[in-house]
Amino acid sequence: MTGVDDSDLALRAAEGDPEAFGELVARHAPMARRVAHAVLGNEQDADDAAQEGFLSAWQAIGRYDVRRAFRPWLMQIVVNAARDLRRRRKVRTTEPLEFVAATSRDNPAREVGALDLGDKLKEALATLPERQRLAVVLFDAEGYPQSEIAKMLGIPEGTVKSDVFHGRRALRKVLESVKEEWDD
Amino acid sequence: MTDLSHNEMAPDAELGVALREALAMPHEGPFVTRMRALVRQQRARGWDEVLAGWFWQGVLAASLAAVLGTVALRVLEVPATPAVNEESVAVQLLDAERPGTDVLMTAMAGIR
Repeated sequence: MTGVDDSDLALRAAEGDPEAFGELVARHAPMARRVAHAVLGNEQDADDAAQEGFLSAWQAIGRYDVRRAFRPWLMQIVVNAARDLRRRRKVRTTEPLEFVAATSRDNPAREVGALDLGDKLKEALATLPERQRLAVVLFDAEGYPQSEIAKMLGIPEGTVKSDVFHGRRALRKVLESVKEEWDD
Repeated sequence: MTDLSHNEMAPDAELGVALREALAMPHEGPFVTRMRALVRQQRARGWDEVLAGWFWQGVLAASLAAVLGTVALRVLEVPATPAVNEESVAVQLLDAERPGTDVLMTAMAGIR
């Protein structure tokens, strides 16, 4: 099914073809899981949210408008599923974020330079408000236009611009510090 | 107001790659396999299947309503109305076991 585009697969899925929807899952699972991971901060919850998102999309596939791009439609459902799960598991999800934030403070061996870039970025992401985190991940990592992100998150486009700006500022500092270490 | 330069309007490719790597999740294959199985199990349902899924809930609700209705009728059942007590003389006289004096007096007064 590699030559078939998303809209055709979605159309077939809407007619009840589970294999077509399975192909859509295979195509978009990496992104859906990354976005859920950005919202929830841990892998197990991210997988649960991505799974809920895909199943919700499967149930709602009959209402998908094929004139619209499939990816943003799906991603909006996944984002909502992740946010719902975060609300439901608020106590659980705050624990890893606090743990990550405390790690470099409490353990001198994990000061800047001892962690790899991925861990440091996740630490920095954990300090950002959820909306900023989503805006910068959807824009820089997943390549969605800001207008599309605004629709997904239900906020004005100007707010997305501002969230991307502030989110990037924190993340770029981490990126620059790691690059400096590498140069040394 | 935040001043956004032209560079802020385009995705930051370097940061994007780093974020994708940081947020990447392991076990992609098993996740997709599990999702495909779940999707097959939960085929998009048509209206008939949705209604069929509600069948037993419907039966249960109807039974509950019937029971509650019966109970409510019994609780609210009106005691013998005055109309019942004031049966016509003719009817009361038909009851051989109950020719009360009041009935007889009334009947006699009527004959006169």
